Amino acid sequence: MESFLVAFDQSFSGAAGDFPALLRHKGLLAPAAVVSSTPQVGMPRETSWQPTEATTILAFKFSGGVLVAGDRRATAGNTVVYDRADKVLEIDRHSIMAIAGVPATAWEMARVLEHSFQYFRRTQLQEMSVDGKVRALSKLLRDNFGFVMQGVGVVVPIFATYDPHPKPEARLYFYDAMGAQFEATDYAATGSGSPAVRGILHYENNWGAKPLQKLGEDEAVSIALRALDTAAESDTSTGGVDRGGKIYPLIKIVSRDGIITLPESKIAAVFKETVA
Amino acid sequence: MIEEPYRWVEAIANRREYIEAQLAPGSPIAALGYGAGILFLTLGQRRQKIFEVYDRIAMGAIGHPGDIERLRMAAIELASTEGFTRSAADVSLRRLVHYSLSPLMKGAFEQVYGAPYLARMLFAEIGERPADDLFLRLEYDGEIATNGATFSQARQDFAVLSGTGQSRELMESFLKAEHRADGSFETALKVALDAWTIGHMTLQASDAKELPGRAVVEKYRQEQLANTGIEAGVLERDASRAIRYRSLSDTELRPLIND
Repeated sequence: MESFLVAFDQSFSGAAGDFPALLRHKGLLAPAAVVSSTPQVGMPRETSWQPTEATTILAFKFSGGVLVAGDRRATAGNTVVYDRADKVLEIDRHSIMAIAGVPATAWEMARVLEHSFQYFRRTQLQEMSVDGKVRALSKLLRDNFGFVMQGVGVVVPIFATYDPHPKPEARLYFYDAMGAQFEATDYAATGSGSPAVRGILHYENNWGAKPLQKLGEDEAVSIALRALDTAAESDTSTGGVDRGGKIYPLIKIVSRDGIITLPESKIAAVFKETVA
Repeated sequence: MIEEPYRWVEAIANRREYIEAQLAPGSPIAALGYGAGILFLTLGQRRQKIFEVYDRIAMGAIGHPGDIERLRMAAIELASTEGFTRSAADVSLRRLVHYSLSPLMKGAFEQVYGAPYLARMLFAEIGERPADDLFLRLEYDGEIATNGATFSQARQDFAVLSGTGQSRELMESFLKAEHRADGSFETALKVALDAWTIGHMTLQASDAKELPGRAVVEKYRQEQLANTGIEAGVLERDASRAIRYRSLSDTELRPLIND
């Protein structure tokens, strides 16, 4: 209640449209984590506590835009914590952030990002550019890097969006944990199951029936399901398709018209016909 | 001045007179609730007057652009931080205006050594049904008027804003007679345009006491439309989307009003 009641602080101007700065100013967002002087990356994790982690997401461009898919499993060490996790998150009408890593951090980042884009549009009276959006996520990752060095809170996302300017096209980016952004021409995959997925997407793109960018929607869905199922075959942290529980990966498509979440019935149909 | 209460009252009265004179030429804004949403409408091309505040809240304002901007920023900041820390459903227009903006404006208005806010604002929050829509008018001195039923007035599905009280009252009496909350967008658009016309005519003729005739309104409206652009925005009732505000362009609206 307090935060809302306190009349706004006139010395702070949100005119720059930077929502994370506003949150920090109001004490609503933790300051950027300090990078520990004794890095623990590469050291065995302590067995006493392990964070919940989400794994294996993929995205590729096809004829109808960008397809983004993620399995549903969340794990902590050897334990499966949840089998209906949502790792493919809508940020605005044309942007998707898919996450591999610690959901606690990732969902918070998605929330900050979502509000940042809206806040920018409302205060500045124009939509944030795609470069601005990509950079905003990069900055959140950079601010989080101190936690990554302490062995908690690593997030490695994929960002897919549709850019109306200057040439209308779907754009796809992947990041490393430190915040470097890389634009993908055809496909991207991150998470523990990603080596298998990357292998499949590379193979399909070069020697498959068609390059990925020429695929129709059903063909694209089929490849996404096969890739995730293959990843689950060797990676215990990846859920793939749960045949018994009828739990399918989450698939969303970004195009000029916005974002579509494929209904489970449709995914199930493609799965039955071309994968199972 | 502080030790002489009379001087303070006098200073406040002077200040009120000054602000009213500054706001007087402000072009009217009409906000009308209809079946599928709430329409905000004004005419003019100088600068933007209708804005999105949050998922379900929009505003219109007249006054000094610098003051409007500060208040708009304050409203967006408060709504955004509340929506972020809790949920979009917890952002309420009533709380935003009553607990945050009104005290701020009253404070600035009564501190006679500081500058008051030269602004008059109109807010609307879309509800699930037209009966849940909330309209609030906020004055430069922090005074609030709502569309809710009060001692002397039935609940209204509209609200208006204008440079003078007289202009506002005529717009309101027109809307009371003509506006239907369950109508279509096209009907709401035409009624809003007529309400704006009546408000603007009244600003030009300071002795207007009664609603002008139909033909006169029609003629004046056409003259204005020939020279000025329409600025409008809607809050959509469609609950499948989180963000309900959409601005409407002049070119989008023109074909709908040529009857």
